[in-house]
Amino acid sequence: MDHQALAREMRGLREQVTGITDTAVAAADGLLIAADTADSIDPEGLAALAAAGLGLARRTAEATARGALHRTVTYGSHGCAAFYAVGDTALMVVLGDEGMDVDRLHTATQPALRRIDLILTEKTEKTERSERSESSEKFETNVNSAKAVEGV
Amino acid sequence: MSGYELLARDLAACGRDGFTGEVRVSGSPGGTVHLRGGLVVAVESPGAPGPEALLLRSGRIGGEEWAGLVRESGGARWPAAGLITHGYTGAAQLRVVCAMALQDAAFAVVAGSVDGCERGPAAESPPAAVAVGEPPTRLLQDAARKLNALLALPYPVRPERERPAPAPLSHAADRLTALRRELIGHADGRRTARDLAFLTGRGVYTVTVEVARMLGEGLLECPEAPAPIPVRLPPDGAGVRPREPAPLPPPPVAPPPEPVALPRRRPGASGITEAIGGERNGTSWKEFFRLRNPTGK
Repeated sequence: MDHQALAREMRGLREQVTGITDTAVAAADGLLIAADTADSIDPEGLAALAAAGLGLARRTAEATARGALHRTVTYGSHGCAAFYAVGDTALMVVLGDEGMDVDRLHTATQPALRRIDLILTEKTEKTERSERSESSEKFETNVNSAKAVEGV
Repeated sequence: MSGYELLARDLAACGRDGFTGEVRVSGSPGGTVHLRGGLVVAVESPGAPGPEALLLRSGRIGGEEWAGLVRESGGARWPAAGLITHGYTGAAQLRVVCAMALQDAAFAVVAGSVDGCERGPAAESPPAAVAVGEPPTRLLQDAARKLNALLALPYPVRPERERPAPAPLSHAADRLTALRRELIGHADGRRTARDLAFLTGRGVYTVTVEVARMLGEGLLECPEAPAPIPVRLPPDGAGVRPREPAPLPPPPVAPPPEPVALPRRRPGASGITEAIGGERNGTSWKEFFRLRNPTGK
């Protein structure tokens, strides 16, 4: 995975949308991957909350036949917290103050989410590919050794 | 034509036309200018705290109380009457807050970049509108004058550009004003002057000027590069994987049956018969009793 590219995406989003105060990316199970957060925020806890919140929202959408889940946004008097699913592997948290234009945030996050998904799954795909090629090599080695034993 | 000239031209035209409605300014931070009869009655921008943020962040009213006032006023975005009747603020003070927020938002729009303007129909009632509007040309000239004054300072700062952090000198500084203490406390190398204005509940122009002065005096400094964002992968090192469905709960274990009576001894359970080898030689205790009592079974 390209760590620099992920950090660039997170910082770029904060600079692109006025009012974003913090961002974090976590695996779908809530394990933190990267956090660009203020010291006053516990990023590990935030990632776990986001995973639980998205899970609950997804089940609510299913149970009420609301279709595919887009995002969840929590509004407070001092701003809002938006949770987005990144593909089916990860999630992104965006915190903003009360000045943030939430519609503009949603527009700006769509391309960023797609790029972050590509960055995160790059390693997995590579690993799977290499695992597949390693296992096929092993198979070939075994076949060759078997042939050698049989004296073919 | 620069963004400012575009905005000035369009707003001047609105003034001449006696336009009533809103002008959406696209750009960064951009905003919305509400006009009534060619006069600006409210400006909203993500770049400057509005009257609501100024009241809430300054602690004049709490979030719960604000929500209560909004409910009381039937869902109005700006419960002005409730604020006054409940004594959170005076009527004159509220007018000052609204007028300051209007000018501050105009400054934020002018200090950023303007890509375009688009007229739209009037919103039902612009939030926190001032009773007597400002002529748009005068409002923009005032904002431009503030920006020029800011950029003429020894350490010019833009509301959304610099991200200052406390300098070593700030730890030794004493006799700081309340605003300066707050800014040193919140500046962390990630926040801009605009972010600090929202956090402290003060006007973005006031905070930006103070940040510029503090940078000039060495109380704040701008880090060379932003702090790196640490990235770590899940411990298995295989990158992120799709979420797995939750494992099925284990089948409920049947509780052991409650004993209804004392256990009964089963013959041969102790294994003594096998242990003494009674069966091996063909004779057993049973045979012994049978010999003693030939009529028994």
